[in-house]
Amino acid sequence: MATPAARLPASAALRRAGTRVGLERVLGPDFRLGFLFVAPTVLLVLALVAYPFGYAIYLSLTRKYVGVPPVFVGLDNYVKLTWDGFFQRAVVNSFIFTFGSVSVKLLLGMLMALVLTSKIRFRSFWTGVLLIPWVAPTVVSALNFLWIYDYSLGVLNYLLVRVFGLLPQGVGWLSEPGTAMASVIAVNIWRGFPFFGISLLAGMKAIPAELYEAAAVDGAGPVQRFWRVTLPGVKNILVIVVLLSTIWTFNDFQIVYILTKGGPGGATQVLPVLTYEIAFGAQRLGEAIAVALYMLPPLAVVIIVLARYMRRGQAK
Amino acid sequence: MDQRLRDLTEQLDAGLIARREFLRKAAVITGGTAAGLHVLSKMADAQPKTKLRVWLFKSFVTAGNDTLAKHIEAWAKERKVDVETDWATFGDREQKFVAAIEAGNPPDIAEMNIYGPMRYKAALRDVSKIATDIASAKGGFLPFAERAMKAEGKFLGVPRYSMTTVFFIRKDIMEAKGLKPPKVYDPDVVEFARKTTDPAKDLWGFGQTLNRSDDGDGFMSNILWDYGGGVWDKDGKPALGTAFLKQNTAALQFAVDTIKKYRIQPPGVMGWTDPSNNEAYMAGKLVTTNNGASLYYAMVQKKHELAPKTLLVLTPGGPAGSFVGSSCYNWAIFAKSKQTELCEDLIRWVEDESRFNEYVHASIGQAGPVYRARVDTPYWKSDPNFDAIVQNILRSVNLGYPGPTTPAAAEVQGQKILTDMAGRVVVGGLSPEQALKEAHKRIEEIYKMRRA
Amino acid sequence: MNRRLAPRLQGLASYAFLLVLLLVVVFPFYWMTVTALKSEVQMRSLASMFWPDPVVWDNFRHLLAQTDFVAWFKNSVLVAVSSTLVATAIGTIGAYSLARLRFLGRAFMSSAVLITYLVPPSILFIPLYAQIRNLGLADSLAGLIAAYPSFTVPFVTWLLMGYFESIPEELEEAAMIDGATRFGAFARVVLPLAAPGVLAAGLYAFTQAWNEFLYALVFITDVKLRTLPVGLSSFITGDVYGWGFLMAGAVLTTLPVIAAYIYLQKYMVEGLTAGSVKG
Repeated sequence: MATPAARLPASAALRRAGTRVGLERVLGPDFRLGFLFVAPTVLLVLALVAYPFGYAIYLSLTRKYVGVPPVFVGLDNYVKLTWDGFFQRAVVNSFIFTFGSVSVKLLLGMLMALVLTSKIRFRSFWTGVLLIPWVAPTVVSALNFLWIYDYSLGVLNYLLVRVFGLLPQGVGWLSEPGTAMASVIAVNIWRGFPFFGISLLAGMKAIPAELYEAAAVDGAGPVQRFWRVTLPGVKNILVIVVLLSTIWTFNDFQIVYILTKGGPGGATQVLPVLTYEIAFGAQRLGEAIAVALYMLPPLAVVIIVLARYMRRGQAK
Repeated sequence: MDQRLRDLTEQLDAGLIARREFLRKAAVITGGTAAGLHVLSKMADAQPKTKLRVWLFKSFVTAGNDTLAKHIEAWAKERKVDVETDWATFGDREQKFVAAIEAGNPPDIAEMNIYGPMRYKAALRDVSKIATDIASAKGGFLPFAERAMKAEGKFLGVPRYSMTTVFFIRKDIMEAKGLKPPKVYDPDVVEFARKTTDPAKDLWGFGQTLNRSDDGDGFMSNILWDYGGGVWDKDGKPALGTAFLKQNTAALQFAVDTIKKYRIQPPGVMGWTDPSNNEAYMAGKLVTTNNGASLYYAMVQKKHELAPKTLLVLTPGGPAGSFVGSSCYNWAIFAKSKQTELCEDLIRWVEDESRFNEYVHASIGQAGPVYRARVDTPYWKSDPNFDAIVQNILRSVNLGYPGPTTPAAAEVQGQKILTDMAGRVVVGGLSPEQALKEAHKRIEEIYKMRRA
Repeated sequence: MNRRLAPRLQGLASYAFLLVLLLVVVFPFYWMTVTALKSEVQMRSLASMFWPDPVVWDNFRHLLAQTDFVAWFKNSVLVAVSSTLVATAIGTIGAYSLARLRFLGRAFMSSAVLITYLVPPSILFIPLYAQIRNLGLADSLAGLIAAYPSFTVPFVTWLLMGYFESIPEELEEAAMIDGATRFGAFARVVLPLAAPGVLAAGLYAFTQAWNEFLYALVFITDVKLRTLPVGLSSFITGDVYGWGFLMAGAVLTTLPVIAAYIYLQKYMVEGLTAGSVKG
């Protein structure tokens, strides 16, 4: 970004200005403003995330019924879950749900961004309209799809059977394990792909046109340009978006809960819904939190590795 | 990159404008934040200290909700109490209760369903005195209501009304085919449904989901009892996959057969949630279904064309008889409340016969009796369809039958273990016996944990 | 021939793809609106599926006149706007210090901010509710205004960190050599340049706050203080859905946000654009 030569005089001036060593050497040259500015975030995180989170971790190590004081049981909840078939199935379902949606969201979002960066008319209109699903309240969208998927009165079966004649008979979308999972994934994709699209669009707009021109001079076709220029150019934002979306999708509760409640026969049971069932159906808060936290360490590792990777990318 | 730098420098060259703009924006934002903070503190302060917090159940029977709200308002005015009401629906009440109890911020009094007193036992006050007082003035409890509200000899809820399920039949279709209302599921309902199912018209003889839902769960409990089985034995110990294995296997097999073998149910039935059968029935796609009176209320109130064509009969049974569980709505007072007397006064007020009668009328069959004196009222004779409702309530068995009602029984219901079990057979490929044994393990676990 | 035909084909394919995407995106909303304008009877028959016949405004009338919808709307606006201002302010200065200033613990905090995202809200809300109550903010909109930044600030911070990094440090240093303080350089040079990014972040925070359901459901125990998503879901009273009614509420809830986005989407793209230039 900035060449060392350009940076030198200003930095030197700064260093001369701040010769009060001591604290600054330990806490860093900008610690006053730095601490001041980061303080609200830290306070907020401590008060509203860290404390409740710490308490939640503690509860996951206890046997805790609603309204009754917790009894410490160590890792019992985690050990028990490890061997529990219902939990194991929910883990598998969660991964299917997450990877199924994130991969299609990525594909659609990439296509959307590519098309929107090409020469088309009314670009703002398209961009604005395509963002709609991401903006609408999830509760509303999920209910709307419940109505759309309805076997007898739903418009999806109506379209497939009566309008297009593609099927002889309607499909019970939410009543077979395969179609139920596909249906909840579809709603998640529908809701989430615009975020991929708009973020990647932003990333592509930031790629200097000269790079494309240079590639064209080298004789690269559209496909090669995509692999050689576009993809490396959006690599960082791609990583962030995939990361965020993976977390959001993994924690997504409302879509599955409203559409299937985990059914039929546990075929769409994902971890957030299972957590909910154990907490509010069974009232075993300790175990419920253990379900929610079980997958946190692997996800945290992924995040830390990726965060490192991105920081390193920036340092270049 | 160069282009971007140039852009930025240009923007900075126009620094004066940007600065002015920025200052203006900053002023607006600062002003807004200051005003916001002021409002924030005001909002938080605006909470008066003495206030009775009442949580009500938002039932589909909206006319009933309005009546109850009106009664409570009248009481507040009369007693000069500041009442804050909140409504919890079927879908969100447990989250609200759990969070409020755990945060130490429960309401003073709440209207709960049958599971409430068992679930929130630890946070509730003993209301034996007022419950028995009210009952003795009203001819005593109906047995299932008394058993459901009592834990270890103490009442945790004051019964208000019962909500049961009945068997809905399309009278017009039944008569056109020359059929009679079924008495048992196998073979009556199957025969009835086979004769009335017409896939070409998307018309199905029977609509009963086995998916995770209150409807599915209620049906599963009933059918196990109908075949002489059940989840619990007489002493309240798990018996699903042990003592009652044979009976339960037959019951589960039948439930699954209605979908897999007899083909009398609509293809989407395993994806249904609680409202689905109501929707399908009102759309004319079902000939019979099990449901609460809410469906009847919906049709009568909206003057739906199927309302007069609907016949309500007793829930069909099985080889061991016909069993139904009903819900018992009740008033529970939280132990944390410092205003017990006010709460009790409120209960007496709304349970006053003339007021309750108004509520029953508004509810069109949904608010069944829990006290003997409320059974033989003219209202329940005003519609021939009501007879099935009253009869089903009178013969209702309690949660946990043939054992006592226990928190473990409420938890099995709350976790929807019976519908999970059915689902494992219908879509998971297990045999009924395997599914029963798998479910039994979960129940055994719950039982052990609850006793520990 | 290849040279001339290829771009045209490509253009055609682009429009075809957009059109399909448009249909998929818009149809559910169209369906929602149509449902809201149908009567109960129409809804349960398959006649005139795609157009209400006759158009019935009862659902909207009933919604506005006989429910607390208007009050919920006001609550939602108040909560979403206030919490967005709070989150954007906190996130902006936090991001600036993490991106630019050199002090102890900065690297750790940058990752920590993102890790907070991992904490599953489906369970966190119970201890969080206790905490909100400790702060004396239970049962008031203030509780929501305080709680929402806990999930919007991390994203705002991350987005703006990228944005601030993309602004050449020389500009600030130049201002400082001219005698501005570090804060002055931030306020007068960096912040105006970052305006599109701040706007994009704010828009994001607003959307999240506008749509939030779980905290609003649990923290608010007075029916008059509900926000829109909770108010809407309270129309699902268990056994029978009033679809038309629900959809009417859904239409009115979604419209303002859609309108805002169609108008503001270019800032969203711009804001994200600069933030993405890294490496």
